[in-house]
Amino acid sequence: MQLKKPIGATLASATCGLLGALPAAPVAAQESPKWEVDTSLLYYGESDSRVQDGSLMTSIRRALDEDRSLNLTVTVDTLTGATPNGAVPSNGVQTFTSASGGRRYRVRAGEMPLDPTFLDTRYALALNWQQALGDSSRWNIGFSGSDEYDYLHLGVNTRLEFDFNRRNTTVFVGAAYGRDEVSPVGGTPIGLTAMPAPSGDGDDDDEGEGGNGETKDVYDALIGVTQVLSRRALLEVALSYGKSDGYLNDPYKLLSVVDPVTGRPVPSPEPGINLYLYKQRPDTRAKKSGFVEWRYAFDRDSVALNYRFMDDDWGIQSHTVEGRYRWNISDNIYLEPHLRYYQQNAADFYRTVLFAGDALPQFASADYRLADNKTWTAGIKYGQRTARGEFSVRLEYYQQTADPSPGSAVGDLAAFDLVPKLKAVIAQIGYKFRF
Amino acid sequence: MIRSRRMLPFALLLASAALAGCATMGVEPWERDLHARADMKPDERDAAIDDHIYFSKEASSGGRGFAGGGCGCN
Repeated sequence: MQLKKPIGATLASATCGLLGALPAAPVAAQESPKWEVDTSLLYYGESDSRVQDGSLMTSIRRALDEDRSLNLTVTVDTLTGATPNGAVPSNGVQTFTSASGGRRYRVRAGEMPLDPTFLDTRYALALNWQQALGDSSRWNIGFSGSDEYDYLHLGVNTRLEFDFNRRNTTVFVGAAYGRDEVSPVGGTPIGLTAMPAPSGDGDDDDEGEGGNGETKDVYDALIGVTQVLSRRALLEVALSYGKSDGYLNDPYKLLSVVDPVTGRPVPSPEPGINLYLYKQRPDTRAKKSGFVEWRYAFDRDSVALNYRFMDDDWGIQSHTVEGRYRWNISDNIYLEPHLRYYQQNAADFYRTVLFAGDALPQFASADYRLADNKTWTAGIKYGQRTARGEFSVRLEYYQQTADPSPGSAVGDLAAFDLVPKLKAVIAQIGYKFRF
Repeated sequence: MIRSRRMLPFALLLASAALAGCATMGVEPWERDLHARADMKPDERDAAIDDHIYFSKEASSGGRGFAGGGCGCN
């Protein structure tokens, strides 16, 4: 079939096949298109009417010349659904309120307490400038910002890459700084104090953003190397360090206080409700992680395997293993199965419940994200190259199981799942094209 | 901190040994056909989306790049 094409077109398509779709190699840059648009529509849906997220992400890249490019990414996220509020199920009806007491919701006996009032739209923007510094190094600098009803993020980042050894070795260093502000709906609760009783009719939909926003500063540093090992194999190693300072709480999460024998909620000093305390995390967190990825090209297909280790000063260590196999069915169509396994141990201050009569700890949180947990992701991606770009569909299934803190399942609590299980589907449609 | 300072010369030595080792590895420019293939590069879009999801459901983030964040994800 190719014999019928003009020789120029045949050569061009052979060159494109050789150089790949991305205009990364300098040789390709001479003929690379000036604009590149990458759009994805994402659906993320959790089972049991929990979080549902619809997201549209579009990147526009403008290559000014061979050495300089500007990249703008805009994201709009819409979140709805219910999210676990940190309390455990009980044999009676449970009533919860917002920090000001202005909003109220009830959870039926035996059900996992979920906050149903979760609704948000998030707008995010990232702008990055990349330019070559001489023949063998590149510099990237960027700005990021996002805004949602109760949360504002602003950040800057930079990255330098240096090629050595006939471009077989690339060393990269990066740094990022972010400042986030959270303004909880109904005000910022004080950690380890009791949830208030409902005020008014408990149905105040217009509590507004909290007046006193809380801030945190996030610093990240990264260093790594990418090494071509052979004609087929490549290895990437990265070490990173991150530090967060400031308000690191999720202001809407609670802890149940239960009787140490019966496991039943104890009454609050406030009339008509049980005792729940707001969680309290430390106000600093430092984490280190190491990442290694090995990629290998077969004649037609390729495989990528990576491992990440993370260790932080909250007592959490995690291991992540991930693999992808790219099955290039033809020149234009591919399938890519994906598997990921993640495991973490609980933070030192993770408590599924607090027991009445015990001394109050300095820090405590029943957030399932800080519990001992294991997650699996399995997915597949289908991609089809078009004349100007690529169309793709990705489907993933995500499952998380977590363990309660030891000794939590006392009395009535032995009959319940104390930490919510999570099952989610991720569906993504993408189209990218160049012109 | 003292321990980190003591470790620094060893880390630098290890890094330079690794880089020296790297200098003998690799391929010639005409042997880059397979590395130039699009599927030998990570898909940055998928990685960004995954990072954002895992950041909001797990206690770890980043690794390949920055730790991400910038949201009050529940």
